[in-house]
Amino acid sequence: MTAATVDRIVQKISALPRLPMTSMRLMQLLSNPDSSVRDVVEVIRFDPVVTAELLKICNSASIGLMRKIESVTDAARLLGTNRIFQLVMAAHTRTMLGSSQDGYGIPAGALWKHSVAVALAVERLARSLAREQVGQAFTAGLLHDIGKIILNTSVGADYAKIAELVKQGGVSFCEAEKSILGFTHAEIGARVGERWELPEAIVRAIRYHHEPEFCEPHDAIVDLTHIADIVCLQIGVGGGDDAMYYRIDGAAMERQGLKLSTLETVGAEVIVELKSIEKAFH
Amino acid sequence: MNQVVVDIADLAVSNDADANLVTFSLGSCIGVTIWDPQAHVGGLLHFMLPEASLSPEKAKASPAMFCDTGVPLLFKSAYQLGAAKERLVVRVAGGAQLLDEKGIFNIGKRNYLALRKIFWKNNVLIASEDVGGNVSRTLKLNVSSGEVMLKTREGEVAL
Repeated sequence: MTAATVDRIVQKISALPRLPMTSMRLMQLLSNPDSSVRDVVEVIRFDPVVTAELLKICNSASIGLMRKIESVTDAARLLGTNRIFQLVMAAHTRTMLGSSQDGYGIPAGALWKHSVAVALAVERLARSLAREQVGQAFTAGLLHDIGKIILNTSVGADYAKIAELVKQGGVSFCEAEKSILGFTHAEIGARVGERWELPEAIVRAIRYHHEPEFCEPHDAIVDLTHIADIVCLQIGVGGGDDAMYYRIDGAAMERQGLKLSTLETVGAEVIVELKSIEKAFH
Repeated sequence: MNQVVVDIADLAVSNDADANLVTFSLGSCIGVTIWDPQAHVGGLLHFMLPEASLSPEKAKASPAMFCDTGVPLLFKSAYQLGAAKERLVVRVAGGAQLLDEKGIFNIGKRNYLALRKIFWKNNVLIASEDVGGNVSRTLKLNVSSGEVMLKTREGEVAL
């Protein structure tokens, strides 16, 4: 890794547009147990672009509401603030995560699809284990691979070396990134999260999503983000050429008391939900 | 060419000579292609889990999600277009897995075993296959010629 490459990566992180203010405000509100539905509605109501997009999505057939939604208040009442938050976040990351990441062999649209699937899976896992911070779990899942859009070019340039290392066996794609490039997409993603001033729990989940054992003390959202990512990669939701070259941390599953059948059920549920969200966005 | 994309937990059958049935990014899921060289009918299934008993309710809503409900549906759908079981050429790809030394999360292997079991019970032979390993696969069936192409990062080959 040359100094010029490091500079280029740092520049790319700085140049990446921040998440819109509405997303940041919603994230704060949902991590605060004292906030009300009204607070959420107030944030969205004054953002005409988000309001228009939200109403369009809510009124798409795949969301399955029986009557037309005409206001943010209606949407919040019928879908719940959590679902509204998810739709707004998914909409706000669609452009950024939607472009193709050729270095990783990820076609257009696939990284966004993978990210939404992981977000839905982490959220379901967090809910099934009655963990707190379900909203943070969703965001951690949605942004876990944000580092890939920064590292894409570097991975593409050195793909042959990375692939060779991976094929020799026993080395994961992440470990190969570290060895050839000097850092992983998870570490770079965490830098992006810090720059965006995301809550610490989310930055942690991004940083350790492939190596939950290195997060000390161990953390539920980190473990669940790892597991959700593994489920989605395994199934093949929106992965690239790197998809099958990641390591499963069985200890994370044990720590969270998760059985294989639970993961399979979550995988099945997420596929159904993902299809409905995809349709809503088309 | 008319490209029909088969999503995860979905299937398609066709007798359109201009159609290609394609499914992307098979991880631990398995893609099954069937083709009748006489009727020129082809089908492609992309199932993700071995057994519908995991969730009978989901199996009802999307039978192609599971091996034991998806495979019968694939064959029956092809019969409706004039295919005959004894003429069907069956090819299989997928069933990959992540780096998992302890074999904790081996859905790929279980998917493949479930498929072998259902084929064995029903006297169905697999003409060719490419399964297992740590590789993501794309599978494409040309309905007119029956040619099945398998694509990975390494390139594209006939299956």
